[in-house]
Amino acid sequence: MAFRKIDIDALEEDALGQDELDFQEIGEPRPPHEVEDEVNSRSQEVRFLLQRGNAAGALSSALNNPPYGRHLEAAKARNTQTVMEVLNSIKVADVAQLVKNLTFEEQDVLMKYLYAGMAAPEQNNSGVLLAWHEKVIDTNPNSRASLDLSGRLSEIAGPGCIIRVITDRRTV
Amino acid sequence: MSNTLRPYLNAVRQTLKAAMCLENFSSQVAERHNKPEVETGTSKEVLLNPVIISRNDKERVLIETSVNSLRVSIAIKQADEIERILAHKFTRFLTQRAESFVILRRKPIEGYDISFLITNSHAEQMYKHKLVDFIIQFMEEVDKEISEMKLSLNARARIVSESYLSQFN
Amino acid sequence: MILLDYHNRIIEDTLKARFNPENKPKPVDMSIVDFDGVSYHLSTLDDQDTKLNLSIRWKCWPELVQYGAMDVLKREYNQWIVTPESGYDFTLQFDLENIGADPEDVIHKVSLLKRNAMAAPFERAFDAQAMAEQEDHWDPTSSQLMTIHYRDGEAIYVQNQQDRVTVIFSTLFKEETDRVFAKVFLQEFVDARKKPHLQNAPQVIYSHREPPLEIRHVPGLLDSESMGYITFVLFPRNYAAGAVREETISRIQIFRDYLHYHIKCSKAYMHSRMRARVSDFLKVLNRAKPEIQASEKKLASGRAFRRA
Repeated sequence: MAFRKIDIDALEEDALGQDELDFQEIGEPRPPHEVEDEVNSRSQEVRFLLQRGNAAGALSSALNNPPYGRHLEAAKARNTQTVMEVLNSIKVADVAQLVKNLTFEEQDVLMKYLYAGMAAPEQNNSGVLLAWHEKVIDTNPNSRASLDLSGRLSEIAGPGCIIRVITDRRTV
Repeated sequence: MSNTLRPYLNAVRQTLKAAMCLENFSSQVAERHNKPEVETGTSKEVLLNPVIISRNDKERVLIETSVNSLRVSIAIKQADEIERILAHKFTRFLTQRAESFVILRRKPIEGYDISFLITNSHAEQMYKHKLVDFIIQFMEEVDKEISEMKLSLNARARIVSESYLSQFN
Repeated sequence: MILLDYHNRIIEDTLKARFNPENKPKPVDMSIVDFDGVSYHLSTLDDQDTKLNLSIRWKCWPELVQYGAMDVLKREYNQWIVTPESGYDFTLQFDLENIGADPEDVIHKVSLLKRNAMAAPFERAFDAQAMAEQEDHWDPTSSQLMTIHYRDGEAIYVQNQQDRVTVIFSTLFKEETDRVFAKVFLQEFVDARKKPHLQNAPQVIYSHREPPLEIRHVPGLLDSESMGYITFVLFPRNYAAGAVREETISRIQIFRDYLHYHIKCSKAYMHSRMRARVSDFLKVLNRAKPEIQASEKKLASGRAFRRA
């Protein structure tokens, strides 16, 4: 593009913009204050569950319905913080079991948050996140294909969930 | 510290493995051009989410993926002035030989010390898993090499100073 | 080779060949360089092959003369001193048919010409300190700060005090790498003295950019990141008259070159290491390239098939 001063593609009406890409995947953007309220109340709920010692409940509710889309930076940061709190407060020994009990979607969301956390090493403990990352990928890399009779995931997520993190436009 | 090295390299390895799904893709902007989309960045729909894997705030890897190319940027550990100089010299040494390191980018991405650019044709002509191995081994050895060089510098300094001063006895 | 020699090897070797009576005298015209921007000119006279001139040129010569270099040189080389050749500061002339002393001795002495010229300020400071020590009330103003600008932008400062002599080197590290490496080296110099077997060594103080107190008032000090100051504190035991003193003078003079020499050596070593490591990496990367099997294809007739 070096010799062109004007990005003519941006002027074209048919050009595919970021908003359009988001819309395809995320749907109608929600008003920021509504999302923020939701995130804040979830943060409290998660903290309450953690105090009660219900790590599994705290983890799955922290990973539930994360804020997606642009223009929601504040809510995203808040939610990431909530997830980090949960991850930091869980003992390493329990990680594998907890991850196993998450659903498909929750595992994918967890992976997204792991990468989001590692992107800011000043604020988060990368060591903890790496340990989680390892556990999520761990054991059987081809496990995604093998569902047991109940339709539940029998092993832990595998590399597929990294691909979903990289490709999913619903970033956290 | 060293107990986070293994999970760190593992995470990078897994992520690279996942990201190394590249295919030939002609430019949508200029006809009969075929460029690494991650570099041109002209078509948003073929760029994927960049991810960062960090070991601490100094050591991290940025992996940017697109439909036909993949960019891996590494920030090397630099605890003090000597390590910074050595890392800088070393990466400079490598980038000047980028011609033979086909996947090496001549200039690192800002904020990182060295970058690799893997395109679909690299992935087709070479074994993908060996390419991943190379990057992992590179990350392992660069740290080792720098700390060894630092040690040897200190050792030399000690010998030099002692043999000079011991003449005064 | 860890330690550097004090004498000039080229002069030594050339003179050895010239002074050997078995070799026929023949005309010579050589330019020789030494550390610290010293240049020598070794030549025979136009009409006489047996008369050999050795001239030296050094930027700081007037300063050395001011600090008594001529006395030292007269003591060492009296019988050979002649009027300086034009363009040079000092000239010695030898008659190959009549050297006048043991040739071995002469050669050794002459190869130390630079060292001897530089020795003057040190000797002067050592003597002044010895005098001062005997006085009961020492007058601090009698301590003299001698400055020798022996290289561009770099100088040696020699100062006598009542109980010690301080030698300060200002040195310039042109590259950042040199500066960082020098820090490592000089830190070791500072620390090395803590070792029990090095207790007698002079104390070494290193300061980066900030000049030490003794020379802070000197005008024209370059204030730059690349400047470094190294201070040696010499006590009388380090320069007791005789061989110890001579050795100390030689050794202190060579310090700057010694330091820089080893910094360069370290850099060269790093370079060769990196070279080796890079070729290792290249091997690893090449492992990723599938080997192309050069299987020979045969035609039905049995002849080898080669694609044109």
